[in-house]
Amino acid sequence: MRWFESPNFDFIKAHNIAYFFSGTLIVASIVAILTMGLNYGIDFKGGQEFVFEFQEPVDVVEIRSELTEPLGSVPEIKLFGSDREILLRIDTEEDITATRELLLANFAILYPGNEVSVQKTDLVGPRFAEDLRRGAMYSIIFALAVVFIYIFIRFKGWYFSAGAIAALAHDVLIVLGVFTIMAEIAPFDVSIDQALIAAFLTIVGYSLNDTVVVFDRIRENSIIYKTMNFTDMINKSLNDTLSRTVVTSVTTLFVVTVLFIFGGEVLKGFAFALVLGVILGTYSSLFVASALVVELQKRAIKAKTK
Amino acid sequence: MKKQNNGFKLGMIALFLGLTLYYLFPTLQWNLEQRHMESLTETERVQYETENIAKIQRLRERSLSLGLDLQGGMYVTLEVGTPQLVLELSGDFADDYLEDVIRVARENYLENRTDFIDEFVAEFERRDSDAMLSRYYRSDAQNITRTSTNAEISAFLKNQRTNAVERAMEIIRSRIDRFGVTEPSILQQGNSRIVVELPGVDDEERVRDLLRGTARLEFRLTPESDEINSAKQAIADFFSELETDEESEEVQNLLEIFDLRGTNQYSFGYAAGRDTAAVNRILRTEDVQRLIPRNMTLLWGATSFAQDNGIPLYEMIAVRSQIELTGDVISEARVAFDPTTNRPEVSMTMDSDGARRWSRITGANIGRPVAIVLDGYVYSYPTVRSQINNGRSSISGIGGVQEAEDLVNILLSGALPAPLEIIEERTVGASLGEASIRAGLYSIIFGLSVVAIFMIVYYRTGGGIADLALLLNIIFILGILAGFQATLTLPGIAGIVLTIGMAVDANVLIFDRIREEMRGGKTLRAAIDNGYANAMSAIIDANVTTFFVAVILYSFGVGPIKGFAVTLMAGIVASLFSAIVITRVIIDYLTREKTSVVSFG
Repeated sequence: MRWFESPNFDFIKAHNIAYFFSGTLIVASIVAILTMGLNYGIDFKGGQEFVFEFQEPVDVVEIRSELTEPLGSVPEIKLFGSDREILLRIDTEEDITATRELLLANFAILYPGNEVSVQKTDLVGPRFAEDLRRGAMYSIIFALAVVFIYIFIRFKGWYFSAGAIAALAHDVLIVLGVFTIMAEIAPFDVSIDQALIAAFLTIVGYSLNDTVVVFDRIRENSIIYKTMNFTDMINKSLNDTLSRTVVTSVTTLFVVTVLFIFGGEVLKGFAFALVLGVILGTYSSLFVASALVVELQKRAIKAKTK
Repeated sequence: MKKQNNGFKLGMIALFLGLTLYYLFPTLQWNLEQRHMESLTETERVQYETENIAKIQRLRERSLSLGLDLQGGMYVTLEVGTPQLVLELSGDFADDYLEDVIRVARENYLENRTDFIDEFVAEFERRDSDAMLSRYYRSDAQNITRTSTNAEISAFLKNQRTNAVERAMEIIRSRIDRFGVTEPSILQQGNSRIVVELPGVDDEERVRDLLRGTARLEFRLTPESDEINSAKQAIADFFSELETDEESEEVQNLLEIFDLRGTNQYSFGYAAGRDTAAVNRILRTEDVQRLIPRNMTLLWGATSFAQDNGIPLYEMIAVRSQIELTGDVISEARVAFDPTTNRPEVSMTMDSDGARRWSRITGANIGRPVAIVLDGYVYSYPTVRSQINNGRSSISGIGGVQEAEDLVNILLSGALPAPLEIIEERTVGASLGEASIRAGLYSIIFGLSVVAIFMIVYYRTGGGIADLALLLNIIFILGILAGFQATLTLPGIAGIVLTIGMAVDANVLIFDRIREEMRGGKTLRAAIDNGYANAMSAIIDANVTTFFVAVILYSFGVGPIKGFAVTLMAGIVASLFSAIVITRVIIDYLTREKTSVVSFG
């Protein structure tokens, strides 16, 4: 089987559409993040989180309204995989055992005879949450910086670095935007926690793979076709590597989808971010990174000749 | 073409495969062993375990261990209270000024996320640049004199913190060992944090108390009854004249929630359990503190002494501020039962120094009570009937046998050098862990099958070869994890699944290149040679950057996320090796004759 054996798409020419498409998504993401706020999970917000498993199905809305008074605040409640399991998050200073006992006592009143067991508890202190938040921020900034430097050294041109970083920021920002918009409507937990940061860094690594492979071909082609103009050369490089880009994206998309479907409830949000990231990463290395490199290179030359 | 040194490559493959199997063998054995043990009946199993204890222990240690998120258990991060430690190290030199500096330094430290001790020294010097910290930390034993510089004190404090963390870890280890947890892990994180992982633990409350329990045991004398009565009178007068602020929601008059009638002459009064915090708040105010003599301290009783309509009542007991004897002198402790009431108590024996002092204290106070105070609560205050020469004493008023056992454990492991705060706690139930293992296993199997089938359909023979490499790749990853004694977590399994998808990338790059070279008119063997050679730089660049990202994730992530980073790193190394070396050897073997054909689709 062969896909895109000798394709000849004009990726650079399509960049206006791509810029419009990406620009819309990015603006929508930023607006969503600014208006709705990032939906931090327990790792970054602190508080207490429980997963309860009931014998019989329960109603999330009912539990939320019934528990608000005894808990003193509205808990975040979501179904966790099935309609018998719930994920409950609450911000409280109480001892975690006290909270658990309080919840179990209220469940017993609300659903007599419906036995419940505690599957998972998490307690994160507010200061620790801040440390985790900081760590996460540093790791993302640090990762982008390392990527910038490495590409700068290997491909000898700041516009390669800038193009790659812009593509990565594009991917991460849009995933973050989707997670923010889906906070209320997603049937699984899409809060921003440590696992999601791991997913982001994986997306960074993955999207980078694609971009680097294209850049590598540009480097090679620029030696072979010395007279070709820069735009054509980048287009040729994108086409040369298109079959590989698509095949790798397909195999990776296969496994992250498998992870999303079969990986269990704990990994749902993480796997979902990866599914989005693989799609966006492929798109951005084809349409965003290289187009930006062309643009930046043109401007750099213009600035020089002035 | 034989000039290619495939012997070396084959040797490498054999070596890695050998190492992997060597490291994975105990895991396999352990699995078989567990299966065997599960098939036995309870009594047979116990007998088998005692007979083969060494073997079982060795296998368990060497086999690939599962993270808490997969086998269930408890994960706790504790922080050593550096501010309290810094205050306590000043000992008797401590004053309000120092306490205030520590308070402000603590706020700055929480704000700026820097080192507390640096903030403390900075705050101290900011207030008075000439002031010397040696004033508070002078100690002949520590070789700190009046002329020691603040930098020296800072180094001393940091050193003390390191000691405190190390000692706390030892104490926690000893407590956990006594509690009985298989394969606990206790690690230091940063300069003042301790991470404790306890697989299979489900009694969280008990473990929490065990970890945090400072077990500061004190023996104190009690004031004369007329001293107590005059203090009571002063407080009663003060509050009966107090004008309360109507607007405030907080209780201001102590008499509303606190009854000054004690059950005996040493009892200062009592309050309902839910009001004790409010009582403490009012008693702490400066106006009230002035009414209580300096050498008198008011402490709550550990257990409620009576009930009022089902509401437990707690007694407040007046004791001397001076501590006569501390728990350091306890050399032995065990659970005993009070012969008359049959209630559990902890019976203690002191070392020779303690016994001598105990004998002197009891001898001088016959007919008067000695309060036994644990972590700031009075457990009992029995009246001394005769001089005690054998260094014996006991703590009564304990809730149950289990509590008594835990108390013995804490007393024997020693007092923590500084209070520990739980800043993170996670527990996973065993059944959720099992579900996660199943989910992870399914993901690996499905992910692998889908990718394998796709590769064969797309690249034919080449795809089949890549699949073989992929299979070996997964075994290598597990081998690397076992070899480095890493833990397999759920995110770690996700890392393996992800690696399955990305590992074929190197082969995709190579095979696409080979197809391209063949389109350019090259012979199969030349195309293969060029394909591998030309794809190499892209493969290296792409993998090095991903590896960097994994390293960053490893250094910043905690808990299971670290497991993800580890499998990602292992996956990159293993996939480079299997995709470049292993496939090459197989393809070279298949094309050893000039006429042989290998399809790349």
